[in-house]
Amino acid sequence: MAKSERAHTGMNKLLCTGIVIIGLLGALAILAPFISPYEPTLIDATSLLMPPSCAHPLGTDSLGRDLLSRIIYGARISLSIGIIAVGISLCIGVITGSIAGYFGGLADSVIMRSADIMLCFPTFFLILAVVAVLEPSIINIMVIIGLTSWMGIARLIRSEILSLKEREFIQAAKAIGASHMRIICRHLLPNALGPVFVNATLGIAGAILLESALSFLGLGVQPPVPSWGNILIESKATLGVAWWITLFPGLAIFVTILGFNFIAEGLRRQWDYNA
Amino acid sequence: MLEISNLHVHFDLNGTIVKALCGVALGVGPKETLAVAGESGSGKTVTALSVTRLLPSSARVTSGEIYFNGDDLLLLGEGALRKVRGKEIAYIFQEPGTFLNPVYTVGNQIMEPLLLHQGLSRAEAFAEALKLLALVRIKQGRRVFFSYPHQLSGGMNQRIGIAMSLACRPRLLIADEPTTALDVTTETEILDLLCELKSNFGFSLLFITHNLSIARRIADRICVMHKGFVVEEADTERIFSSPQHFHTKELIRAYQAIGTL
Repeated sequence: MAKSERAHTGMNKLLCTGIVIIGLLGALAILAPFISPYEPTLIDATSLLMPPSCAHPLGTDSLGRDLLSRIIYGARISLSIGIIAVGISLCIGVITGSIAGYFGGLADSVIMRSADIMLCFPTFFLILAVVAVLEPSIINIMVIIGLTSWMGIARLIRSEILSLKEREFIQAAKAIGASHMRIICRHLLPNALGPVFVNATLGIAGAILLESALSFLGLGVQPPVPSWGNILIESKATLGVAWWITLFPGLAIFVTILGFNFIAEGLRRQWDYNA
Repeated sequence: MLEISNLHVHFDLNGTIVKALCGVALGVGPKETLAVAGESGSGKTVTALSVTRLLPSSARVTSGEIYFNGDDLLLLGEGALRKVRGKEIAYIFQEPGTFLNPVYTVGNQIMEPLLLHQGLSRAEAFAEALKLLALVRIKQGRRVFFSYPHQLSGGMNQRIGIAMSLACRPRLLIADEPTTALDVTTETEILDLLCELKSNFGFSLLFITHNLSIARRIADRICVMHKGFVVEEADTERIFSSPQHFHTKELIRAYQAIGTL
């Protein structure tokens, strides 16, 4: 009975804080056209490298573009890359992991060995190489990050399913004539997804960082479209005179990663207590 | 109706072969109750599970036939077998709490076999599930329908299990120690319920138990198993009045010893 009582005591503080942070950022990203004071790509030659002021709360960059507007629009790019990349890796990881865990045998060997091979590659350089060959568009970046980060999720799902499939309710499901597909989708996955969501939330943070790193190397989202990473790289040249262009996008990345980590840790504790 | 003959099952435990069943033969006729009795490890559960091939992956049926209405279940394809499971042959398991999926309401799970086999719409299945809950003597069926397994008692969960197994009106019900995890009063209630449902629906019952007193109460015939062999099979009264095999006598003595405590 402890389970139901705990489940009804509500969310823990960490989870709440995380959800509030990410919720605000998400609202910012969705409502960007209504919130941002200027066009993110509007060049104003009369106000280059202005420090934070009333007209430009976070200052302007070397082309006179409003930094606040660029960061708000950058949230759209960074968050959507994080979420979609993880969505892709979640799909691949859940499907391959559950097949490997449920059927075992040859399918298991093939899938898990390919995951091991993928894990052996230094992912970042693989992404760099692929993006350098293809063009570094937002879609390509999402897909490539997704395709190179499914292994952890697949392993997690596989291990969860390996232990769950020995439980009696799975035998009961077989006994009423449920098919393999039905057993995996209806009976195994809902019980296995808890730890996977924790992992995926951390994965979103990782994908945002990865995109920033790629942009910083010039292989991420291409200017003039603002992403947090490419705002950062543009700030490099003027770091000595304009600290704000470096600080604020860095802060935005920091707060977002923190928010997702809070959610992940909060979820983990929530479900740990309930287990 | 169910005819098992010469059934051999081996377990392969990391290279060591363990013989679980050595030529088991037993039959259950229409509307008959057969109790399979024996101590732990005698092969009762393995026999029950091999009927619809639910054995764990380490087990292998090395020879034998299991005829059910003329078909050898051991030769049936996966698809055909799934149509038998839950529809023609249904199970009730030992641990009432663990055979229910913790993430769904019990009502949802009673609906599952109905949706799988009967082709009912969700609304029809819901109505049918409520009827089934009433059938297994659950009051406030609507409230119980929306409860999760962990919110219900063991006896309640076992009633849910019975409701689930009866959902498609199976012709054979296999109950694997359905009352072992329950206390004595609940045990009596569940046994009475099973007997009553049996006379209403007319299914055959294969009842696995280690407890001869329960077997005597419920069964037409008793089959005693020991170390993978069927050592004796006879009408319930014959087993008690003139047990033939040494092991049967031992089981009866054990049960009488408890009775005189």
